[in-house]
Amino acid sequence: MGEVSSVLLLTVPTALPLAVAGAYALAGLRPRTGSVLAVPSTAEPVMAGGRPAPGTDGAGRMPTAVREAPPAQGRHLADWAALVSPAGILACAVLLALRVSGGRALRAYSGLLRADALTVWMLLVVGAVALIACASAPAHLADEGEAGRAAGGSVWRFHILVQAFLAAMCLAVVTANLGVLWVAIEATTIVTAFLVGHRRTRTSVEAAWKYVVICSAGIALAFLGTVLIYYAARQAGIGEAWALDWPTLAARADRLDPAVTRLGITLVVLGFGAKAGLVPLHAWLPDAHSQAPAPVSALMSGVLLSVAFAALLRYRMIANAALGPDFTRVLLTVIALLTLALAAALMLAQRDYKRMLAYSSMEHMSLIALGTAIGTPLALSAALLHIAGHGLAKSVAFCASGRILHLTGTARIGRVRGLLARAPMLGGAFGLAVAALLAFPPFSLFASELGIARAGFTAGMGWPVAIALFLVLTAFAAITARTARMILGPGPGPHADEEPSSNLWPLVLGLAACAALGITLGPLAGLLTTAAHTIGGR
Amino acid sequence: MSEGLFTQLLDLACGAFLLAAVIVLWRRELTAIVRVFALQGVALAAIPVLLGVHERRWDLVVVGVGIGVLRAGLLPYLVRRALTALTAGQQRYGTDTGESRETQPLVNVAASLLTAAALTLLAYAVARPLVELDPTPETQALPVGLAVVLIGFFTLVTRRRALSQVVGFLLLDNGITATAFLAAAGVPLIVELGVSFDVLLAVLVLQILTTRMREAFGTTDIDDLRELHD
Amino acid sequence: MSGVGYVAVAGQVAVVAAGGPLLAGWMRQVRARMEGRVGAGVLQPWRDMRKLLRKEPITPVGTGPALRIAPALVVATVAVAAALVPLLSTDTPISDRADLILVVALIALGTLALALAGLDSGTAFGGMGASREMTVAALVEPTILLSVFALSIPAGSTNLPAIVSGTVHDPARLASPAGLLATAALAVAVLAETGRIPVDNPSTHLELTMIHEAMVLEYAGPDLALVELGAQMRLTLLLGLLASLFAPWGIATSASWAALAVALALFTLKVAVLGAVLAAAEVFWAKLRLFRVPELLAGSFLLALLAVIVSYFLSSES
Repeated sequence: MGEVSSVLLLTVPTALPLAVAGAYALAGLRPRTGSVLAVPSTAEPVMAGGRPAPGTDGAGRMPTAVREAPPAQGRHLADWAALVSPAGILACAVLLALRVSGGRALRAYSGLLRADALTVWMLLVVGAVALIACASAPAHLADEGEAGRAAGGSVWRFHILVQAFLAAMCLAVVTANLGVLWVAIEATTIVTAFLVGHRRTRTSVEAAWKYVVICSAGIALAFLGTVLIYYAARQAGIGEAWALDWPTLAARADRLDPAVTRLGITLVVLGFGAKAGLVPLHAWLPDAHSQAPAPVSALMSGVLLSVAFAALLRYRMIANAALGPDFTRVLLTVIALLTLALAAALMLAQRDYKRMLAYSSMEHMSLIALGTAIGTPLALSAALLHIAGHGLAKSVAFCASGRILHLTGTARIGRVRGLLARAPMLGGAFGLAVAALLAFPPFSLFASELGIARAGFTAGMGWPVAIALFLVLTAFAAITARTARMILGPGPGPHADEEPSSNLWPLVLGLAACAALGITLGPLAGLLTTAAHTIGGR
Repeated sequence: MSEGLFTQLLDLACGAFLLAAVIVLWRRELTAIVRVFALQGVALAAIPVLLGVHERRWDLVVVGVGIGVLRAGLLPYLVRRALTALTAGQQRYGTDTGESRETQPLVNVAASLLTAAALTLLAYAVARPLVELDPTPETQALPVGLAVVLIGFFTLVTRRRALSQVVGFLLLDNGITATAFLAAAGVPLIVELGVSFDVLLAVLVLQILTTRMREAFGTTDIDDLRELHD
Repeated sequence: MSGVGYVAVAGQVAVVAAGGPLLAGWMRQVRARMEGRVGAGVLQPWRDMRKLLRKEPITPVGTGPALRIAPALVVATVAVAAALVPLLSTDTPISDRADLILVVALIALGTLALALAGLDSGTAFGGMGASREMTVAALVEPTILLSVFALSIPAGSTNLPAIVSGTVHDPARLASPAGLLATAALAVAVLAETGRIPVDNPSTHLELTMIHEAMVLEYAGPDLALVELGAQMRLTLLLGLLASLFAPWGIATSASWAALAVALALFTLKVAVLGAVLAAAEVFWAKLRLFRVPELLAGSFLLALLAVIVSYFLSSES
């Protein structure tokens, strides 16, 4: 009985979004004829429409768009169906949380899927952020429809790709096999490519190209590193079936050849670091985050970065057992400080608010990396809490920025004025989300940044933490000045263009959750401690 | 198969593998580059087949044949199709837009060939600990895989045609696959399948993006991608 | 031993000296036939040479000794190299001294002498040809050194006869990646060194493209005959070297008259075949633009370097 339910709990987070994606594909295909396969069917029409005659392309598609636009009733239902999978992920995470307390782990499919406290924590973050993003998606799609950009299958395509994106992230979180983990993270790149480049304008095509090329190449390095660790594991006498199994590797890492492991871990850190927005392969991040639709930016920034970083947390365990803690500590500290310096410097001269939020993601990822480098239980707990707090706050900020973009029609900071006067609720939500990102209490980022700093000073890493605090302060100044300019001041007219409250409740929910996490962890405290313990905080 | 013959054939396959990467760097015509890339796929597929025959592991032979179909058949076919699509307009109007040639790479060809030589030496230096861990004929050829990874990365960074970048990415991937086979006779089957599927989809995505880039920019020169910056 | 050995050395020099013009004639003939012409016959270079030798020697006004001694030096260096390289036999009295580096240095000396002569002539074309020749040589000489070096690693010696006899006894060495890469690199280097298409066109006098011909533009009479002989001998020598290194079958490894006769026949055959292939290839190839030449040469250098690397690291016994 327990066996069956654990298999079910581990399968659902991946299978449910896939099933929803399949349902969307079927629903989207009904008016058409042709292939039933989900992913290729989304790719084929694009190719067929895009390739042969560039000139007639845009004009040729419009009539079909009008003909195929689903009735409002069906679209409404479709929008709400997207919430099924975040809810399912959250439910599974909660049920799993009850069963992994005390450091136990659940396994399924002969160890391929596995849940420990870190998995559950990440699933909770994925579910919560996905809930905010998917709940904000209808408003975004309605805007696209108004603007005449939601042509033909593009609404369906959006839903299918977002659901597949969720499935890939959940697979990356629940698998114990490092090879499958890589496959899942690379799959997120492929799935999100069209979400980033959905508009086909010059900027979005450029962003999508950079995104796919840099992320695929970067993450290929991570695969090379994985291969090298597999080689070291095979040489250390671990059987083929278990040589990529994380628990096995973590338990027997002391037998791995240090030289090979060092090379492998360096490649893995560079590769997954690319996906987590850390230097040196970070260049895709501001472009992709600023060009993607707001809900997708929220998902990418809020959880994709941390899912990639969670992979690094797993590898760090192996590296520490094989090489001692100093190797990853130095590597991660250097990368974190470089990323932080770069993000802070570029934020000072930023004129686009979505790009500003993207650089803020890099700033927060580098803080998480710094916390991981410190590596004490307090630091690791704080880093994990930071992942959750940043996910919630950043997804709210991105979703709000999507609404602001719709309202003002510009992404330039200088052209947005008096948001609070113009749309008090939206401006307030955006301001509060940015305040959360700036680590104002009561939001949880305050607690986690404080935790990282305290842990750093007690662990003898005073200098790096001091430099990091200085850089965070720089970023703080840059963000505060720009956000204040955007939300304060008189509005353009006497009337307020307030958003309908149905568009705002996800944002309020996210902010409330972030603040609640900052005040008390409540029942999550035990989970957080266990999760930090799982990844080496002892 | 005798030990000596196996080593000879394996070395031959690895030599051809490396040579193909160098020729990709050498040539400018994208059609020629794609053809050479397909030949590299054959050399890559030969590695697991040889290993399989030598160790009497028929699953490896099957994996090798699958790799051959993907890397020497399907992927070059996709790239070639994208190339035909890009050059179709050019032939129709009789204008040479330079879509099918790598006219001016960031680093000129002579210098990139010399860089490739340096990268190969670097690969040998980096691979020292890998070879020392278990010196067999297979691991002795490991630096070849790493060298192709580095050359692929170099191609990706210095070439300006979108499709050259795709080929660079695929070289990188071929190098990693070769490294996996030479180091540990390949990763487990489920991972191998996932990786191959991911690479196939990535190339499909890049192919579509190339078409869109052509629509939006009128060219596939990466240097024109400069709308987004700080 | 000594009698056969000395005959072998003399035979090598004589074959290269007498065969050089014949090879040139043969290649022109093959080319003419492929282009649908009748051709001047295999003996035409010899007839040209006889005509040139009968003319009176003329030296341009204001030139120094470099111009005068260069033709003799070119022929002499090639003749010495021909004596050293194991074209017919690996077992000669001077085979101990037939070091790879020495042979390459001798060939380079000839190239240098001609370049100096080109500069000495004081004309624009001479200087231009000399600078182009040196550009090419700067990449070609290391390529030749490296590719033969790659072959010397399995033999454990840079002595050419040792390399060749080692290959005769163990032909599998050639099928290795190192062998194939080195063959390709050396073939390109030989084309460049002898001034053939695609690097240089021996029959052009177009100022934009010529390299070798630009340097020797000021020669006339017997000096020109020597320069031409030197170039033809060099082609024969390098094709012979290529044949010895990569198809060493038939070369006498012991001192016997029969083996020497077989070696002579096979050498003639191999060089004739190589010459015919080269001539046929020239019909179909176009000359590279001058600034593309370094690409080709850098490529062949890379191949040679890869050959060295591969033969160092890939072989399982290392």
